[in-house]
Amino acid sequence: MHEWSVAEGILRSVIEWAKENNLDSVRKVKVAIPSFTFLELDILKEAYDTLKRGTVLEKSSLEVVYKDPLFKCRNCGNTFNLNQVLGELNEVREEFGEEYPLHLVPGLAPAFIKCPKCGSNDVEVSPQDITIEEVEVNGTAGSSG
Amino acid sequence: MEPLEALARTKLSNKRVIAVMSAKGGVGKSIISALLSLSFSSSRQTTLIDLDIHTMASTKLFGLEGKVHEVNKKGIVPFSFGKLGVISLGGIVKDRYVVLPGSNTRDVMQSLIAYSDVGEIIVFDLPPGLGDEVLLLEHLTDFTPIVVTIPSKVSVKVVEYLLRYLKERGKRPVLVVNMAYFDCNGKKARPFGGMDYVKNVSEKYGLSLVEAPIDPEIEDYIGRIHEYNGVVRSKIKEVENLVGFPPYSSS
Ligand SMILES: [Zn+2]
Repeated sequence: MHEWSVAEGILRSVIEWAKENNLDSVRKVKVAIPSFTFLELDILKEAYDTLKRGTVLEKSSLEVVYKDPLFKCRNCGNTFNLNQVLGELNEVREEFGEEYPLHLVPGLAPAFIKCPKCGSNDVEVSPQDITIEEVEVNGTAGSSG
Repeated sequence: MEPLEALARTKLSNKRVIAVMSAKGGVGKSIISALLSLSFSSSRQTTLIDLDIHTMASTKLFGLEGKVHEVNKKGIVPFSFGKLGVISLGGIVKDRYVVLPGSNTRDVMQSLIAYSDVGEIIVFDLPPGLGDEVLLLEHLTDFTPIVVTIPSKVSVKVVEYLLRYLKERGKRPVLVVNMAYFDCNGKKARPFGGMDYVKNVSEKYGLSLVEAPIDPEIEDYIGRIHEYNGVVRSKIKEVENLVGFPPYSSS
């Protein structure tokens, strides 16, 4: 269900951006979502298509790419990837089920992920936010971060 | 263009936003936040958002430990006490400790705001100090600050930094002096020090001042603060009156 809030966030920010740039129609929005949030694409698209009605995004389509985070331990300098902490993440998912904390708040990642080498929580995660990668407007592509 | 920020702004626009702050910890800020939001909720749909994401005191005050927020199409559903909804990171991580780098705390606070289903009045319980939480709120909305201190000189001196900052930002907070006195058969005893110094400071900054007494009975209401109807709650009602309802923040 959290996908509805995410869709609203995406739409709000593109609507604002379109307003600032005096654009009246958006064709496509491409967003990148951290893979460890386990957001469900079907629900996100359904929410997007429902909420876009009556806005400048009415005729737009949503494209989603998943991005895998890279972790860096600030305690020992070790860098590691999602696969190396998948076990930890799955435990958290089993404990919480649908209301999995990183599904709701990806910024919490360092609180749930320990460095596999030294066990520290002082872990930098990048990228961890849902970002808008690209917006297509009337045939031209504008990119924004 | 940031989806999280855009959504957080939307959630706060056309709402009355109150931020309960202190430069110092241990002054009873969370109790004041809880009682103030309860007070507002007697007439309006109010949401208390606990931004003190490391202590999550509101979870303890309202007896919500171990409970998890539901999520629906409108977002994170607050725990409800009549017209008051309470949002806490505790409802997302249960009783797990939360240790986070600074850059992430801002992100987590912004997520709580962005993804919550909120009422007309929003009360933020801020962590002590002058950090990201203050800057984030300033960035997102025009809020009314409530500054909490105790009468001790150290506390007031520390709080003065915050008052000076708020003044520079064009804000005029209400100053709440918590644990200001103890009622001994009609006589006021002041175990944390006299009011002279606080009064000087409040005059210097032109602030309204509310004194809240010590009520040992509050201890019995930890875990069910919404049932507390004692003397501190009626004093905090004065803060509600000072803050008033409109004008709503516009942004
Ligand atoms: Zn390490």
